[in-house]
Amino acid sequence: MTRDNSPITRQKFMEELRRYEKGSITRRHFLGATGLGTAMAVMGGAVPSLLPGRAQAQDLGNRVVLATWPNYHDAANFDRFAEETGVFAQVNVFGSNEEMLAKLQAGGSGWDVFVPTNYAISTYVEADLIEPLDLSRLPNYDAAAFEQRFADAGTIDGTTYAVPKNWGTTGIAFNSSKTGGVVDSWKTFFDGARDQFDGRVMVHDYQLTTIGNALVYFGHSFNSVDPAELADAENLLIDVKPHLFAISSDYQPSMRNGDAWLTMCWTGDGKQMNSDMPEIGFALGREGGEIWSDYYAVPKGAPHREAAYALINYLLDPEVNAREALAHGYPVADSRTNALLPEELLNDPILYPAAESLTPLEFGAAVTLTDPNRAELMARFKSA
Amino acid sequence: MRSSSEEGAAQDTGSEHVAEFIDVSKRFGDILAADRLNLGIRRGEFLSFLGPSGCGKTTALRMLAGFEPPSEGTVRIDATDMSAVPSHRRPVNMVFQHYALFPHMTVAQNVGYGLRQRRPRLPKSEIGAQVDKALATVRLSDFGTRRVWELSGGQQQRVALARAIINEPTILLLDEPMAALDAKLRAEMQRELLDLQRSLGITFVLVTHDQEEALSMSDRICIMGRGRIVQVGTPQDLYDRPCNRYVADFVGKANILSGEVVAREAGQARVVLGCGAEVLVPEGNPDGRRHVDVVIRPECLSLSATHQDEDAAIRARVTHRTFLGDHTEYLLQAEGTGLLQVNLPRQAERTSGGHGVGDDVHILWAAGTGLVLAADD
Amino acid sequence: MAITQARARALLLTPAGLWYAALLLFPLAVVLIFSFGERNPIGGYAPGFTLEQYANLPARFAAFRNTLTLAPLGTVAALLIAYPLAYYLAIKVSVRWKTTLLILVIVPFWTSILIRSYAWIYLLGGNGIPALLEAFGLGELRLINTPFAVLVGIVYGYLPLMVFPIYVALEKLDKSLLEAASDLGAPPWRSFLQITLPMSMPGVMTGSMLVFILLTGEFLIPAILGGGKVFFVGNALVDLFLQSRNWAFGSAVAVALIVIMLIVVALYTRAVRRFGVRRDDVGLM
Repeated sequence: MTRDNSPITRQKFMEELRRYEKGSITRRHFLGATGLGTAMAVMGGAVPSLLPGRAQAQDLGNRVVLATWPNYHDAANFDRFAEETGVFAQVNVFGSNEEMLAKLQAGGSGWDVFVPTNYAISTYVEADLIEPLDLSRLPNYDAAAFEQRFADAGTIDGTTYAVPKNWGTTGIAFNSSKTGGVVDSWKTFFDGARDQFDGRVMVHDYQLTTIGNALVYFGHSFNSVDPAELADAENLLIDVKPHLFAISSDYQPSMRNGDAWLTMCWTGDGKQMNSDMPEIGFALGREGGEIWSDYYAVPKGAPHREAAYALINYLLDPEVNAREALAHGYPVADSRTNALLPEELLNDPILYPAAESLTPLEFGAAVTLTDPNRAELMARFKSA
Repeated sequence: MRSSSEEGAAQDTGSEHVAEFIDVSKRFGDILAADRLNLGIRRGEFLSFLGPSGCGKTTALRMLAGFEPPSEGTVRIDATDMSAVPSHRRPVNMVFQHYALFPHMTVAQNVGYGLRQRRPRLPKSEIGAQVDKALATVRLSDFGTRRVWELSGGQQQRVALARAIINEPTILLLDEPMAALDAKLRAEMQRELLDLQRSLGITFVLVTHDQEEALSMSDRICIMGRGRIVQVGTPQDLYDRPCNRYVADFVGKANILSGEVVAREAGQARVVLGCGAEVLVPEGNPDGRRHVDVVIRPECLSLSATHQDEDAAIRARVTHRTFLGDHTEYLLQAEGTGLLQVNLPRQAERTSGGHGVGDDVHILWAAGTGLVLAADD
Repeated sequence: MAITQARARALLLTPAGLWYAALLLFPLAVVLIFSFGERNPIGGYAPGFTLEQYANLPARFAAFRNTLTLAPLGTVAALLIAYPLAYYLAIKVSVRWKTTLLILVIVPFWTSILIRSYAWIYLLGGNGIPALLEAFGLGELRLINTPFAVLVGIVYGYLPLMVFPIYVALEKLDKSLLEAASDLGAPPWRSFLQITLPMSMPGVMTGSMLVFILLTGEFLIPAILGGGKVFFVGNALVDLFLQSRNWAFGSAVAVALIVIMLIVVALYTRAVRRFGVRRDDVGLM
């Protein structure tokens, strides 16, 4: 407990603040919800536009707007892209798929490229918000190089709407110096929250994962919308709630300063925390949980469509993609890119877990995202 | 001018003096706003502090009210040292310069405010009755439910007065209460104040920079200058026997001439003025100076086309003539004396026939009139 | 002449009128229409006419309860802290220090409330104030992610909004009124209650309304310092519009919030009128 009592150092605070500024600790919620992401994007867009544009053979324009997740790119790649094409990328970061969907549904987003997760794509197609991709304009995309399960959500009824970016999992991050060892089951996660980890556990402020993992605790499907199964999950969550440290997708600060010991965690966050603080580990739930894959896609009515294709194609270049992966720490499904990544990264159990531990994981389903009952369940849980 | 202020106020008996300043000084930072004040205020009198702005008169009043603690010395009210008595426990009430009426209360609530502070509490009915009485006193009986900002300046003034007298203070303090009123209303209020003072029989202390107001209303006037008491006396005293040039200049119209004493005899000095004329002038405090200032009021001089031997005469030319009904004001230019003012009563003008602008005349100075002034500080 | 005046008035009011129409009335009308509609199966709004959304309002009872408890509590807490500070700044402090101190009150506004709230995560977190209290042997204490932490954040974030209107009201208070009260026999605390307080009521009212209204719509501070466990109507709205995308229900919640706010403001205004000061009264000074 002595470590707990040492007040935060100035250096550590500044590190956290810088992380915040980069957007990394606000993975799913805050930047988008507060509009700060937009502010950053405006700055990002305004500054390069002061530079002289470069004459190009194709008429790409000088601007492309990317809607993506926080801390999900290597900024240097955008600089190189601008150098090569004269097109400056303006990056908007968002908190959740729902939020992206809400923005596109409202219309006038001005985006050229966005990054939906597997389970969201069919909803975009249904709502006619997503452009079918002309793969001939993406020469760097080689379908054969991609592991099928991380790519197939992009193609619906034979039409390809999205190409894979990165994949990952939703597991458990634990501070082993507090938990006394690895926590690798949702049973321990939720039971411990009410027992030995009382007041130290965080769940996402995100119905898909929080309800999904509660369902998995009972052996139900992560994607269940069955009322009886959802009732089990609700009972568990409401029972656990008073013992939780927080309901927040912004778990890195609390994990890092030792307030929280255990949290639901996305791969990249787990990797980032583990790199900085080896005592924070990341494990997948033995019972199951989520595996996901993000994609690049072009929204209907993208104002700079040519530049959008150029940017996606550029980011799919294996060398560029490898630099991306080194920067953000999320696994890649492209074998050409993986061939370029260092051995220790490919052997990293957080990024590329053993195949058998991935087996029980499920991809989120479209209905999991849009089911109104799950949304209401989450609201009842949060306001209980 | 310590000599002319009321020295040894402390020796006076408590019954005669309702309040006393004993060696009271007040500093605001580097500024000495009140400099060793010694003054006894007599029970039941109407006393005015008179002086230009910044002379310390308001500071003196505020020390009496308890808003400013003296830096040195003692303020006594009813023979009690007030050093440790905060303003809300002093038996004095004030009418503020801008009235300081409580804007969020009705007229009646304003007037009754002091009574509502009494502990033990007074019964509501008694407060109501006294408020009605006070409002009647200032002739505002029908105004009790009005908001104070609905009233005219004169009405607000009377509310302030009613509010201050309802507590039956030992001393009523008035801080330039008429300054914001127009001339006609001011004269009316002055009369009302005097009537009020007579009917209530309480001591009034007025601060004013208006010498006419002070002269017309006060039993005694305390002239202040640069934080000090310069002279205290009845209006007549101050007019007839100003102790120095400052007082002579401040109270009433005065011709002040400088001259040289050539002889002294039986309380009078023979003074040769700048213009060469020689006058015989009473001297209050003979101090043997050769160079002196002599004051003579405009109504003590007269004019003549010809010179008569028995009086000293100054040759002068009329530059302005102002007819003012009961008297006529002449401004004259005399060599070596500057502008002089002479007021001739209507009667005198009729007999002498008057003088026109540009006329060369003799200003006549009867022997034994005027006053040799003591030196200023 | 009359025509010119009418035209002048039209010219003066048109920009503000258009502004309000475009940014207040139009969105309000949209929200009102949406609130009678339905949720699109994939999220968003589907046209319709139903009272279902309003019938469903009790589902957000807890959010309303939390908001309507913590917003008034936060307003009162801010008032209790702001009043003495404003009093000190307006009446007690020397002119020389006044400007400096006023600037110090504003300085936090130069930084985003988001960043400032993050600072509180550390201050209230296990390594912050609780660690300090523990070092003094005051036992283990959980501050972060509690309603108390939200209250601290609220008071901290909105204090200047409360301080300034009160400061302005006290600043223009004629000091001779206090002297008059004292002269008439009121001891200092009584002249404070009878003169200073009622005369500063318009400032108190402005500040309280400002803070209360903003607090009612607050979502950031409860999300950051409440750890998602202190759920305001603002959070419910964020979730409904951005997460579950139930725009129809979200609109109904928003309409209910606006109605409740209007009622509270009306009641508060009446109460203050009764005990305080008419604006005309203060205008006199």
